Amino acid sequence: MMFDADRLTKPGAPTPAKKLGDDSGPSKPDVRKPEGGNELLKRMKKVDPDQDRQRSGE
Amino acid sequence: MTSPILAGIETEYGLLVEGRGAEDQIDDSQQVIRSYPGHCFVGWDYRFESPRSDLRGFTQARLNYDPEDAKFDAGRHHRSDSEVRSDRVLPNGARLYNDHGHPEYSTPECLSLRELALHDKAGEIAVLRAAAAYSEHRGLDVRLYKNNTDFHGASYGTHESYLVPREIGYERLYRAVMPMLIARQILCGAGKVGSETGESAPFQLSQRADFFTESASVDTLFRRPVFNTRDEPHGDPEEWIRLHVIAGDANMMASCTARKVGLVKIALSLAGIGQAPVWEIPDPVRAFQKVSRDMTREFRVPLKGANWTVAYEIIDSYLSAYERLFAATDDPELLATCVECRSLCGALRNGEDVSSRIDWAAKLAMLQHYMEEEGTDWADPALRSFDLEYHNPDPAEGLYAALAEMGSVEPLPYEEDLLDRLSGNFEPTRALARGLAVSKFSDRLLGVSWASLIFRGGHEPMELYLPPDHSYPAQLEAAKSVEEFIEILRGA
Repeated sequence: MMFDADRLTKPGAPTPAKKLGDDSGPSKPDVRKPEGGNELLKRMKKVDPDQDRQRSGE
Repeated sequence: MTSPILAGIETEYGLLVEGRGAEDQIDDSQQVIRSYPGHCFVGWDYRFESPRSDLRGFTQARLNYDPEDAKFDAGRHHRSDSEVRSDRVLPNGARLYNDHGHPEYSTPECLSLRELALHDKAGEIAVLRAAAAYSEHRGLDVRLYKNNTDFHGASYGTHESYLVPREIGYERLYRAVMPMLIARQILCGAGKVGSETGESAPFQLSQRADFFTESASVDTLFRRPVFNTRDEPHGDPEEWIRLHVIAGDANMMASCTARKVGLVKIALSLAGIGQAPVWEIPDPVRAFQKVSRDMTREFRVPLKGANWTVAYEIIDSYLSAYERLFAATDDPELLATCVECRSLCGALRNGEDVSSRIDWAAKLAMLQHYMEEEGTDWADPALRSFDLEYHNPDPAEGLYAALAEMGSVEPLPYEEDLLDRLSGNFEPTRALARGLAVSKFSDRLLGVSWASLIFRGGHEPMELYLPPDHSYPAQLEAAKSVEEFIEILRGA
C-alpha cells in the first residue's frame, strides 16, 4: 500500500515572540546565580561558564 | 528484515581538560581512553573498516575534513592511527576509543530497544571512569559532555547503526528513512540553545541540524549529510548493509534513545516489505533545519511543488502502516513505540507539557524556568552553559541528573542494571561472543573487530567470522578453553 502524502497549503503559523539568539558562541559568559532550594538550581549555581572550542567529530 | 533488527549506538563525548585546548584534544582523548581502569582487550582489527565506501556503489577518494581542525593539527605530529585511536574492547563487546579527539563509546549490538538504551547509559559510566582515572593521574579537572556541539561551530556525532539486508538497496532505503529522520526530532531531539549557522534561532529541537549541508553523502566530519551513505557493513557485504544514521542527537533520557531507534526500526521494517509511506521532500536539509527551529510546534515540512505537511503527519503515516501491517506478528517494543509516539504527538499538538518525556522539552522547560526566575531572556549567554551542563553525564553534577533527582523527568536507570551491562550481555547477539572472548580468553586473543575474532593457535592464528544475524548460545560462557569456545561458536 502506498500513501498519498501531499497536503494543501495552510495559513502560516504565528511568528515566535522571541528571536534573540545569535550565532556567536560565548567563551566566558557572565553566569548570574539563580536563587532557590531545589537540586537543579543548586547545580546551576555551580556551573562553570568556561566553554572551550572542541574539535569536530566523525 | 531480521526481526527484531540488530542496532547499536556510537556516542562521541565532548571533552574539556583543565588548561588544555582543542589543539591538545587528540592527545588528551587518547590518554583518557588509555586510562580506562576496567578489564579490556587492546588490539582492534581495522581490516573491515571502509569509511570511504558509498552505498551508491562507488568509493570516495577522500573524506572532507574540517578546515578549523586542520589548523589545530598544523605542526603537530600524531602517532599511528591505531595508537591514536587506542581502541579498547570491553567485556560486554563494546568498543571504547578515541575518535578525532573525542572519547567514543560504541555500544554492543542489541536486539531490543530497552537493552540498547541501557547499554547507551552504561557507556556514560565507562567514559566517566576513564576520565576520572586520567584526571587523577594528571591532577587536572576533566569534564565530559554527552552532547553534539561546542557552540563554537564544531559538532561531534551520535551515530546509530542498523543491520539491513543488502537486497533492499540504496534508493528504497533512502526514500523510507529520510522522512523519518526529518520528523523524529520532534520526539527525540536533545534541544539546543541558539544556532551556529544560518538564520539565528533562540532554541532548536536538534543539536545537529545546523551542521547538515547535504541530503546524502559518505562524509561525517565536514559537509555532513542528513542521510549518510557510508557502506561499511561489518558483515558479509553481499548480504548486509549497516545503515549508518548520523542525524540523531545524544540523548540523556533512556526513553528518548529507545524512541529514536524504534522510529528508524519502524521505517526499516516497512522498507523491508516495500510499504514505507511515500513523502516527496525536495530539500531534506532545509526541511530538517526548518523543523528544528520551529518553536510554534507546527513543524511544517515543505513537500514537492507548493505542498507541505507537518512532522506529525509523517510520523503518523509510519505508525499507522506499521500497526496495520505488523500488528500480530512482530516486535512488541515497536508496537509500544507506536502507542507512545502517537500519545506524544497528540500532546505536542495540543500544547501540553511534555518536558518529562522528551529531552528538548525538558531542557527548554529548565531554561524557561531560569529565565523567569532571573528576569532574563534568550540573549543571556549563560543559557548555553546550562545547555552544556544538561549533558554532563556525571550524576553528581549534571543538570539532567538533577532533573531526574527532582522527579521532573524519568528516573535514571538503576546503577546496578548499568553495571551489569558494562560487564556482559543479556542477548544472544555476536556481542555476547565478543564480550566473552574478552572476559575469558583475552590472553589468547590477537585481534577483535565487529565481525571477527582472531585467537592465537598452536601453529597459526585461528580466525572466526561472527555473522551478525546468528543467535549465539549462552553456553559460550561455560567454555573452559579457547578450543571449546571456538567449537561452540562454529556450531552456532
